[in-house]
Amino acid sequence: MQELIKTILRFKVLITFTALCVISLSLISLGEVSKISGFRAIVIASISNIQRIFSWVPNPIALKSENQALRDLNLQLSSEVIKMRAALIENNRLRSMLALKDTSSEKLISAEVVNKTNVQMRSYVTIDKGSNDGVREGMAVRTDAGLVGEIVATTNRYSLVETLNNRHVKVSAKIVRNQTDGILSWEGGNYLVLKNIPTSFEVYPNDIIVTSNYSVKFPHNIPIGKVAKVEKEYGSLFHKIYVEPYVNFSSLEQVYVIDFIVDEEIIELTKKIEETIKAKNRQRK
Amino acid sequence: MKLVENKYYLKQIQIRYIVYAILALFLMLLELLFIDIIAIENITPDLLLILCVWITLAEGQFVGLFFAFGIGLIFDFISGDVIGTNALAKLVASYVAGFFYKERNIKSNLNTLRFTVVVLVSAFIHNLIYFFFYLKPAETSFWHFFLQYGVSATLYTMLFSAIAILIKIPAKEIDID
Repeated sequence: MQELIKTILRFKVLITFTALCVISLSLISLGEVSKISGFRAIVIASISNIQRIFSWVPNPIALKSENQALRDLNLQLSSEVIKMRAALIENNRLRSMLALKDTSSEKLISAEVVNKTNVQMRSYVTIDKGSNDGVREGMAVRTDAGLVGEIVATTNRYSLVETLNNRHVKVSAKIVRNQTDGILSWEGGNYLVLKNIPTSFEVYPNDIIVTSNYSVKFPHNIPIGKVAKVEKEYGSLFHKIYVEPYVNFSSLEQVYVIDFIVDEEIIELTKKIEETIKAKNRQRK
Repeated sequence: MKLVENKYYLKQIQIRYIVYAILALFLMLLELLFIDIIAIENITPDLLLILCVWITLAEGQFVGLFFAFGIGLIFDFISGDVIGTNALAKLVASYVAGFFYKERNIKSNLNTLRFTVVVLVSAFIHNLIYFFFYLKPAETSFWHFFLQYGVSATLYTMLFSAIAILIKIPAKEIDID
């Protein structure tokens, strides 16, 4: 017995290290960022309160880039307004001819960014609207320029928005010019990457990317960005498209939460099909 | 006399541990509230890792492991990260830093450039583990992303550790008789 205790004491560092490693790995296998709830929501609320106190602290770099972004946007918008007016008239006329439903009437909840958190490549923004204002998990967030991200946690007065420049965020997106759908994600740098677009489809720089009709997370046709460059990967059947987002994530101040959650029936149906396929695969094995 | 000395020694340890805990909480808030101000292209220094390495070099590998695990776990909770990633990365980083611990050289380990070298090694390993779980290598080019962000974050953390050398946190005094 004494020998055993001596051995344990001799290897106490290694034993402790191994035990803590096992605990950490078990927690990793359990934890997912989308499962922020309960205790973590309380923690987020407390931090948001502190963040609000310090929100007056200016970030000169962000202010400069925001000014530049706003000037660019202003220039772009002023030229687009004229085109849009003409397009709207034409659109209304065509819709009435085809008897299509108007889909551009989602309610927007205006919110201010209280804080930006950028910890170890995970970017979040905290906004000053919570469940009391009708904000719910899963709602999309945008600015006048385009899509910002998704609400991942809410408290009564605050919400946490996961921005598009996070590794595990994936958006079903399409190229407006040819209506081809792909998956948009962030792989580092200033660009988002659009994948799953077959090389048989031509993609050009400045093509506009918006959310796809197939998206179960976001309402469709929210602008995301424009194509910056297109790469053909050796041996691949798909393009690798770099998308420059319209939104400047470093200078967010005012955002809008889109009061829209995809019909739960669609999500349930998708899950049901996935489970059926999995069950069939298991049977085959 | 010996009992009084032991009691005094234990009290010193307790005070040091409390200081570390308060410092850890302060740095967590700093990382969550103000780190954006010093972020360069989304790259931020890991102040908590510097503290973990400091504790390991001041108190030894065994104590360092517990602090690193605890700090990482709490930070995972409050930062919204996948629970366990920071805990594991900081745990392994502290374990590695523990090999540089020498009871007779605590001050020279903490107050010289040797500390930044240990932080560099630990931060590299920390980021390697952290980015592995963050990236899910099957989905993207791990090395490309790691070389772009992981290495930069490592160097930025090392740069900040130089500041820590100038701060005189009460370290364990050892009588070498």
